[in-house]
Amino acid sequence: MTEQLEPVGMAPAPTTQPAAANHARSSVAEDLLPVIQGVGGVAAVYQAQPLWQSIAGAAIAAVTGESLPLVAVTEGAENVAVKVRIGVDTALPAPKVAREVADAIRKHLFPRPAAVEVYVVKLGQ
Amino acid sequence: MNTPDDALECGHSLADLSTYLDTGEIADPDHLKWCPECQAGLASLRRLSDLGSELLNSDVADAGSGSDDWMQSILDNLRLELRPGRNIPLRSGHPNDSLFETEGAITALIRSVADSLPGTAAGKCRLHGNITGGTDDAGTGSTGVSTGTEVEAAAGAEAETDAAAPGTGITVELEIAVVYGHPMAQRAAELRRELAKTLAFQTELNVEAIHITVTDVLAPSAPSTPETAAPETAAAGPEPTEIAAAGSGAPGPEAPAPSTREAPEPADTEPTSREDQP
Repeated sequence: MTEQLEPVGMAPAPTTQPAAANHARSSVAEDLLPVIQGVGGVAAVYQAQPLWQSIAGAAIAAVTGESLPLVAVTEGAENVAVKVRIGVDTALPAPKVAREVADAIRKHLFPRPAAVEVYVVKLGQ
Repeated sequence: MNTPDDALECGHSLADLSTYLDTGEIADPDHLKWCPECQAGLASLRRLSDLGSELLNSDVADAGSGSDDWMQSILDNLRLELRPGRNIPLRSGHPNDSLFETEGAITALIRSVADSLPGTAAGKCRLHGNITGGTDDAGTGSTGVSTGTEVEAAAGAEAETDAAAPGTGITVELEIAVVYGHPMAQRAAELRRELAKTLAFQTELNVEAIHITVTDVLAPSAPSTPETAAPETAAAGPEPTEIAAAGSGAPGPEAPAPSTREAPEPADTEPTSREDQP
């Protein structure tokens, strides 16, 4: 497994209060979800961070009852890092769909600079 | 990343998924909604189940040839291939973006293409070569939508570059089992064409060759003639020595006619696979 993006809970210390920052990240993630789902060819959006990789987040989610966001957003000093795992319908070429997802995320976050990671983890049904 | 041999990345096993298909019960059913590995596993098990039904409905089952060995072989490979595997880079439209397809997604796609052919089940599937080497302009193969011919042309162009450069050609190795009565050579040729087309469309891999080996012919019991005395072993055996004539499974003038493939000659014991340009 070579996925290296930091889990959301391990983001660099933000300048705002942690709770507020978490809320902001969650909000951005929630806003991005329909943007990603709206890209042609995207059949599914999967948890960006497999559960076993985010035990802490899963534990918090279990206690609070909140579901983990499907899109991982990390606020950095330089940019906003976004990670998403998608399934792609075989009617469209997956590489093109992945690029369009990244473009859609970048446009949504504009003018904030973004670093986008897109993983196509499923092709077809 | 280490996981137990019988577990997928998410912690579930094929046994869990099989039980779920049989009974509808699994500890965390919501997990199946968002786990691509489990979804791919369920899809493969369903196709395998369909193929098993086809066998049960045929004379093969009546002949008592058995299917445990080949099915076990397929399940063993599923355990390995349903994991995400390596991240295969895609070209991005922005320098700050990193785009990938997982190896598991591609092998699942290859498997689904093979399984979609009637009477065919995918066994071992491997991608050989530098699949994680990057996607810079100099080293990239096909570019999304293209035909098998274009892939072949791209492969030829790549052959002129450094063999170790990123994006150099990769090889697909696929083993399949074919139910007796289905035209093997035709099926292998059709499968190769479909795989070349699908991979050119859905990946940026520079596919140089697709090796298809028919490792199992699920044949009825031994015919009465002496020269066709081997089908029982061919039906049950995953060992290479038992795939002899079945292994060619590829188009071409020298390919054995489908009607004779269940009769491997004793001397022809080397496993064979055909290396063709897609």
